[in-house]
Amino acid sequence: MKSGRKFIRSKMFTLLLVLAVLIVVFLILSKGSFLRPNNMKNIVDSMTVVSFLTIGAGCLMISGYIDLSVGAVGTLCGILMAKLLVLGVWWPIACLLTIAAGAICGIISAILVNELRFQAFIATMAMASITQGFMYIISSGQAVIINDAAVGKIGSGVIFGYLPVTLVLAVAAFIIYGVLMSGTKFGRDVYLVGGNPEAARLAGIYPKKISYILFFNSGALGGLAGMLFAARVKSATVTGIINSQFSGMTAAILGGVSFGGGAGGLGGAFVGLLILNAFNNGMMILGISPYWQTFASGIILIAALMLDYARASRRARSKLA
Amino acid sequence: MSRYLEFDGIGKAFPGVQALRGISFRAESGRVLALLGENGAGKSTLLKIMSGDLQPDEGRLLRDGEPAVFSSPFHAIKSGISVIYQERQIMPMMTVMENIFLDDAPRKMGVVSRKALKRQTQEIIDRFGLPIFPTETVGRLSVAYQQMVEIMKAYRRNSDVIAFDEPTAPLTDTEIAILFKLIGELKAAGKIIIYVSHRLTEIFKITDDIVILKDGQLVKTVETGRTDERELIRAMVGRDIGDTYSELKRNDVLGETVLDVQDLVTDVVHGVSFTLRKGEVLGFAGLAGAGRTEVVRAIFGADPIISGQIKLDGKTVRFKSPRDAIDAGIALCPEDRKEQGLVLLRSLKDNISMPVLRKIRRAIFLDKKAEVDLARRAVEKYSIKTPGVDKVVVELSGGNQQKVILGRWTSDKMTTKVLIFDEPTKGIDVGTKAEVYQMVCDFAKAGMGVIFISSELTEVINIADAILVMHNGHITGKVNREDATEENILRLAMLE
Repeated sequence: MKSGRKFIRSKMFTLLLVLAVLIVVFLILSKGSFLRPNNMKNIVDSMTVVSFLTIGAGCLMISGYIDLSVGAVGTLCGILMAKLLVLGVWWPIACLLTIAAGAICGIISAILVNELRFQAFIATMAMASITQGFMYIISSGQAVIINDAAVGKIGSGVIFGYLPVTLVLAVAAFIIYGVLMSGTKFGRDVYLVGGNPEAARLAGIYPKKISYILFFNSGALGGLAGMLFAARVKSATVTGIINSQFSGMTAAILGGVSFGGGAGGLGGAFVGLLILNAFNNGMMILGISPYWQTFASGIILIAALMLDYARASRRARSKLA
Repeated sequence: MSRYLEFDGIGKAFPGVQALRGISFRAESGRVLALLGENGAGKSTLLKIMSGDLQPDEGRLLRDGEPAVFSSPFHAIKSGISVIYQERQIMPMMTVMENIFLDDAPRKMGVVSRKALKRQTQEIIDRFGLPIFPTETVGRLSVAYQQMVEIMKAYRRNSDVIAFDEPTAPLTDTEIAILFKLIGELKAAGKIIIYVSHRLTEIFKITDDIVILKDGQLVKTVETGRTDERELIRAMVGRDIGDTYSELKRNDVLGETVLDVQDLVTDVVHGVSFTLRKGEVLGFAGLAGAGRTEVVRAIFGADPIISGQIKLDGKTVRFKSPRDAIDAGIALCPEDRKEQGLVLLRSLKDNISMPVLRKIRRAIFLDKKAEVDLARRAVEKYSIKTPGVDKVVVELSGGNQQKVILGRWTSDKMTTKVLIFDEPTKGIDVGTKAEVYQMVCDFAKAGMGVIFISSELTEVINIADAILVMHNGHITGKVNREDATEENILRLAMLE
């Protein structure tokens, strides 16, 4: 009883409610086509790549940092993989090298932030520019076609006849990272560092180590996302996943991850991602122009934050009374 | 030009503290009035009321007999009151002239006239005879000249009343001489000057009247020429020592040396040596900025050490991080509870388990039940007032927050040998203070070595077995409990 009431007051409840309302509204407006298998597949396809970015951005934001380079890094990684495959590198090696390249970009950001004391915002903005430039240099702005059958299977293959490989990877990643963040010492350290890095350090936690691990992780997940995207569309382009970066952050913030650090969780971020994608997809099948979709995603982010603010201030008021 | 500024029965309360009570005195034109008192005596609160930053609960300010109400700093400035705080209020990226004329630049048809700005600034600089230029960037000037810029700003505003809050703290002797010359000029110009400082020699050099505050009350008003250092110190520290201290159950069995520090040097600590025995409470006294916090932070591995030797239980140690120090058995309750002690938006439980998370694991997962039990035991042990261990610590009172930190360092998963308190009673109410004192004694009884840093002299004298006094990064003396008086400690702390 008590835990039930607690759940109703929780942020997760609001998120699930918003998701349910969205689904019902779109179901009615689209006369049922919203939940048809074909459309579900569309939603899933557009979600999987962003999933990894949401996780990377969510963990970093909880620790109080931000990575604005992950879209560019991921896109560069897609091109790197395609180039490696063209050179005849065996696909598992190519994939590993690609993810490693992403991780190295993350480590460079971490060095800028921790050793040279740059603001993460500025350091990663510079990294975004550098990686984007590098990517144009090595590709001359041309798309690189991916012919490797195995890589193609990872990108668009299914297991058991209908489960997309990328979806399985994304869901698995959410579960693993979710447990890591909520159930382990490492996850707790991330929250404590995000809440107050100096207090955490004086209580025996290493904020620097946490920051390195999370930037490494963000870069590696960016690399993985870029690679999967290129594998799915069977070509690596210079636009790649650059625009998905902000979808990842939006989903995390929508799901309750605090931009200032220390609060939120990956469960919320996952539902945030579902809401964002259900919303975008719903708009699409209703035939609303993509321009308006972009416009509307900004509006829902503001609406979500306002809802959260209203709840928080109501709670504060009831506490005073 | 006003002839005098009068404080008439000023009182101000903050939650849990009566900061000021019935303060009445008069500051006159062409004289320098000193505001003297220990930390927490109420000097800053009084300045803030004068500058319109705070509103008094009772009493009023009068100028030449007319009531003056300042609803905001803007209002006070417009009425001719300038307060020059310790923290500079300049714009470091802007030029001298822009800073001086920040809120009222000379204009020509609505546009700031650089020519007029420069000329008028030069006039003021010449008036004070300073070697700086109107177009210099203020951030490039030395701290002293930055302060001069603020004084010139106050002068340009044509303020009748100019107050200085410990202006000489960051200055060298030559710079102080320039400052005193300026104050002399302002005095000659008939300004009302209020001067807050700890340094008695300065007060004798430049002030005409002295007002002494203690615990928010005015204890003495005297003409500078008619008093001496001894009398001032006695008035500042007062005589009454609460019963709190006599009721303490102290530890009187000292064990062997647990911590031995020799010639510790950091960028602000210059060769500090001391030993701490098991069961001993070692006090650190000194003025703000004397280097007490820096000593313990260096020992705790929080700040880099340049040289020196630290022995814990006879073994030489050098901690690279607080983690190493904690594992070796040293714990620090930091000076700033909110900024350095707690993760405010996390729960009480999370804040208690912070340093021992690795010890409450099952396989790779945190054992949440063990964590809750750990927190519950701390709540019980220190009677922390909270509805539960999931309560966010930001919502607890200052005293209970301090207890959370104590709970963190003394849980049964910790093996604390040396417990360091840095200003543990800052901002907590009197009742909880007494509890904290008893806890400090209890930790000593349990055989820990306790370091107790406090700026409240009565507190250090009554809690510590011996007191080390610091000044400018040096230890200037060690006073045993039986010999400790506020007078002799204050004298060591204010060595010039």
